[in-house]
Amino acid sequence: MEFEAVIGLEIHIELNCATKLFCDCPNNPGDEPNVNTCPVCLWFPGASPRLSRAALEKAALLCLGLNAEIQPVSAFDQKVYYYPDLPKGYQLSQAHLPLSRGGWIDITDEDGSAKRLRIHHIHMEEDVAKLVHEMEGRKPVSLVDFNRAGAPLVEIVTEPDFRTPHHAMEFLKALRAQVRNVGSSECSMENGTMRADANISIRTKGTSQMNTKVEVKNMNSVRHVGDAIAYEISRQSAAAQAGEKIVLHTRLWDPEKKVTTPMRAKFEGPCVPDPCVPVIKLSKKEIEELRARLPEMPADRAKRFVNQYGLSAEEASYLSADAEIAVYFENLIKEGVAPRAAMHWLTTQLMPAAKDRNQELSQAKVTPARLAALLKMLARDEINANAAREVLAHLFASDESPEAIVSAKGFKQVSDRGEIDSLIDKVLADQPGAVADFKNGQGKALGFLIGQAMQASGGKANPKVIREILTKKLEALCKA
Amino acid sequence: MDSVFFYRNNIKAASRSGALQKIKIALQPNISVAGWPTETGSNALAGFKALENATVAEHAVKAGAQLIGYTRMSEFGFGLKNSMAGSVLQKKAADVELVLDLAGEARLAALRAGVCGFKPRYGLLSRFGLAGLIPSMEAISILSMSIKNIRGILQAVAGADERDSSMPEGKTPDLKPTKIDPKKIKIGVIKDILREMPANERESFEKKLNELEKAGFAVKELSFPDFSQFLAVHQIVGSVEASSCAGRYDSVRYGKREPQAKNWNEMYLSSRGAAFGTLLKSYLIQGAYFQFESYAAYENACRLRARLVAQMKNLTAQADFIILPAVNQAASENPATLAETYTQFIYTAFANVTGQPVLFLPDKSGAGFQFTAARLGDGQLLSLGEYLQGGGEK
Ligand SMILES: [Zn+2]
Repeated sequence: MEFEAVIGLEIHIELNCATKLFCDCPNNPGDEPNVNTCPVCLWFPGASPRLSRAALEKAALLCLGLNAEIQPVSAFDQKVYYYPDLPKGYQLSQAHLPLSRGGWIDITDEDGSAKRLRIHHIHMEEDVAKLVHEMEGRKPVSLVDFNRAGAPLVEIVTEPDFRTPHHAMEFLKALRAQVRNVGSSECSMENGTMRADANISIRTKGTSQMNTKVEVKNMNSVRHVGDAIAYEISRQSAAAQAGEKIVLHTRLWDPEKKVTTPMRAKFEGPCVPDPCVPVIKLSKKEIEELRARLPEMPADRAKRFVNQYGLSAEEASYLSADAEIAVYFENLIKEGVAPRAAMHWLTTQLMPAAKDRNQELSQAKVTPARLAALLKMLARDEINANAAREVLAHLFASDESPEAIVSAKGFKQVSDRGEIDSLIDKVLADQPGAVADFKNGQGKALGFLIGQAMQASGGKANPKVIREILTKKLEALCKA
Repeated sequence: MDSVFFYRNNIKAASRSGALQKIKIALQPNISVAGWPTETGSNALAGFKALENATVAEHAVKAGAQLIGYTRMSEFGFGLKNSMAGSVLQKKAADVELVLDLAGEARLAALRAGVCGFKPRYGLLSRFGLAGLIPSMEAISILSMSIKNIRGILQAVAGADERDSSMPEGKTPDLKPTKIDPKKIKIGVIKDILREMPANERESFEKKLNELEKAGFAVKELSFPDFSQFLAVHQIVGSVEASSCAGRYDSVRYGKREPQAKNWNEMYLSSRGAAFGTLLKSYLIQGAYFQFESYAAYENACRLRARLVAQMKNLTAQADFIILPAVNQAASENPATLAETYTQFIYTAFANVTGQPVLFLPDKSGAGFQFTAARLGDGQLLSLGEYLQGGGEK
């Protein structure tokens, strides 16, 4: 029997708002414990929640960026459960009337075909406090940090359209790119600003039945999501082959052992409408105003890069995924760099160099203008590629212009024919063996001689001029 | 122990000025005054001192009023057990008392004390700083011998408050007195209520209607067959909200913590078990029952609520005011159960379900009457009250 998997994702994303969802406390969960608190997020008697407009807008932009339909009326519910991380006894979440419905992300399937993965709905909710378990001497204690309590989250619930780990991983990568692009969150699974849980069931291939699903949690990277789903599919398939019944439960991914293990399910309480947070009403006009604020989407940008700059689809999608990189790329072009050179230097030189130095492109000293100045010197043959790479390293460390660095460090390329002429004469005199080889028709001797001449110039000679003069002289020697 | 006051404020403001400078206000200990023991009549909040002033308290003080203390209240203001609301006015120790009305408590307390009681429309007074129980229904209400004082307080404390986002935005409503001309006023009476009343109650109620007609008002019979459903809707929706609202009282940061518990869960259960009184516990358990076991019944109650609100809107459009009885004389004065508690509120709970304003006026018969109006009728209701009490513009 051949099985196929039916997979849906539930993704929590922490919005990068300045304040919490229902109060003005700073949304900095990592600060000293319990500094970012007030009567509202500690839920003291008499406090009343006030929905942050900024959070609502960031959430709505996120929805629009995922092709979702913002609902004219949405509302908060109380998800009732009792736990020390939730001192008011319920979490404010949108259970009955979510902020948006529908939406999708297009990915490329393993066979290269396009696949659309649909979103069921997206809702807002508040985060809960963080429990910290420590030892006080030999006594275990549990402490509660309320910095995170009330932090603004959105939850994206997909349709069960996914069939493979590849689908889930591509979806998450595209989701991250699109949400970062609209500026609502950093979406880092490693830093916990994006968390993905997967619901997985299997069925006989070709049927349309929906079987009991298993929820898998605790994946801290896109890779883990893929691995956990792959593991779970084979575990369930083996169980089904052996005639075991799949029961509804939750499992934890163990990234060390690369297995999932069952966990005790959290109690799922009821959801009742919250009478304190007013119903959210967004008019058509407000929704259109938000839509007008959307930046260009990665997929649209990739198409434009292909048409406008002649990049391949793969190159274009790579450069478009991250708004920061795309903007940098286009700024290089605005500064007069040819698109291919801009793409090449950005992806193979600047990005790895910035990564090595742990710098964001937007913060690096190597601004588009400075890199463009360097690349234009290269294009004008004032320096060669080796020198340009070295100058780039200097640009990260100093504020001097590339021109100043080139002249101060002597990177200027020598193109003076007289100088190169005498240099080559000396090389030919020093290397009679190589000259003889060339005469005997061994073409690679030319490369060796060019290298020698380059070395003799201290790496500064223009390789094109060397090749031209050397070729002429060797041909003359052959005829002689 | 003081029989009326739960807490007395001995600090007198040096000098007071403003519209309320001669007014002494007593409050219930569920309306926050910074530093006062805002314990809401419950052991669950034992030792809790408010951090900030409630907006109503803040505005009243700004207008020159003196806050003289907290009066004894029932647990979270639900029902009238242990409540001393109104006594402070009878003893003339205060001019005004602020009392929470969840199902009619403030109006029945006014009746007991023989004073006027006004439940403003939902959203007229800020709920910021109110440690409440039924957020969508309860309203801080005003008790006083004088309707002029009630209007004075309303004018000082009403209006938009950015700290209470459940309030409608916009300008503060006009609460100025208006002229009452009985010849131009229609007072509605719900015949479905009359029909169900015991003969003796009905007799005194009809006597009141005759008096109004003699005074020149037109009395008009209105039909509201579903009126009796307000109570059930209140009980279901109210208990569900109360159950959620009281979830935060876990004894961790204030209140009485049970020392024997071995873990958090045990501490939570035993502390709550020890803190809440029997009536409140049965109310919270009922709410949890609807949340966890009978959610569909709760949803039905919400739908019915919307229908009743629409029907009431339609009814208030057919008359300028509607008169209703206040007290159910068949109800026990000392109810022992949740059901008995609710039977006290058969004539009052409607206004908490709809959010419309209601004025209770005492009467020499000892029963008193409620007058209600359309949703924005707060100002007119007070003018009618002043007219009927003999102090209004004629
Ligand atoms: Zn806060």
